[in-house]
Amino acid sequence: MWLPALFLIIGLCIGILTNVSIPADYINYLSIAVLAALDTLFGGIRAQLEEKFDQSVFVSGFFFNVSLAALLAFLGTQLGIDLYLAAIFAFGVRLFNNLASIRRILLLKYKQRKDAV
Amino acid sequence: MKRMRRSQFLYACVFLVLGFLLAFNYKFTSSSSPAQINKQTWQEDFNYKQQLNELEEQNKQLRSELNSIRQEIRTMEEELSQDTDMMKNLVQMKNNLQKLTGDFPIYGEGVIITLRDADYIPREDHANQYIVHDRHIHQVVNELFSAGAKAVAINGQRIYRNSYISCVGPVISVDGTPYPAPFVISAIGDQKILDTSLNLQNGVIDMLVQENIEVAIEKQSTIEM
Repeated sequence: MWLPALFLIIGLCIGILTNVSIPADYINYLSIAVLAALDTLFGGIRAQLEEKFDQSVFVSGFFFNVSLAALLAFLGTQLGIDLYLAAIFAFGVRLFNNLASIRRILLLKYKQRKDAV
Repeated sequence: MKRMRRSQFLYACVFLVLGFLLAFNYKFTSSSSPAQINKQTWQEDFNYKQQLNELEEQNKQLRSELNSIRQEIRTMEEELSQDTDMMKNLVQMKNNLQKLTGDFPIYGEGVIITLRDADYIPREDHANQYIVHDRHIHQVVNELFSAGAKAVAINGQRIYRNSYISCVGPVISVDGTPYPAPFVISAIGDQKILDTSLNLQNGVIDMLVQENIEVAIEKQSTIEM
């Protein structure tokens, strides 16, 4: 598990060290991309805990969600529709759903272990 | 083992992108936080205000400069107008002097006095006592000048300050030009005064008549010489 952690740190460093400034209009797309990434990540964790995790689904879902979320938000801005709000809403709801599921599963597992002991 | 490594690499890529996005977003958000924006805008505000102040100061300075220049122009114009006034006076003076010296023809009301030799000369008397002499003309001209005549001419020739009238036999020479009788003396000036002073009792006309000269006085509204 050391390789993903190392890459996470490398990614953080690259993100901090890049000195590219994005116009303020595009910050919405970036935050939606981050939200999508977090959602997919927690979705993956949940699937892992429910033992129906599929690696290809997770990886493709991650990149697809991130790029599609940003693209949709961009398209919405071009068309004059605040589509990024919908994206934030959808991803946010799913994020909290996933978090709740993870918490419940963890609690369940903890209880089962306690009962077993 | 190989499969495991491949999946680990995929996860690594996912976390790389995640880390990049997180860090980038964090950095971006913190670099443009509202407080900073406020500070920036405040700085800009301050700069603009300063610029405005400078501009106003400059405006004030330029306005005062403009005022002083306007004052200058006004004084210059006044000087100019004074100069023009002086010029006008000088031109007037020159015109007057030219009129006096005869450079320009002058017009005006005046009187014309005609002196003729007597038609009838008694046999026993000498003809010399019946003709017009230079001294008669002198008397008339002097009288006219002393009565305030502006200009005097004899047979059309102007008499100036340095003119001379002399007797040359039967004719009279005015500045070297001989004229025969009758002599027409024209004078420009106040008709009334000229007439009165000529016709004074025991004045010029009386004297001329006593010396057997025919005198005719005529008033004319415009005489040119």
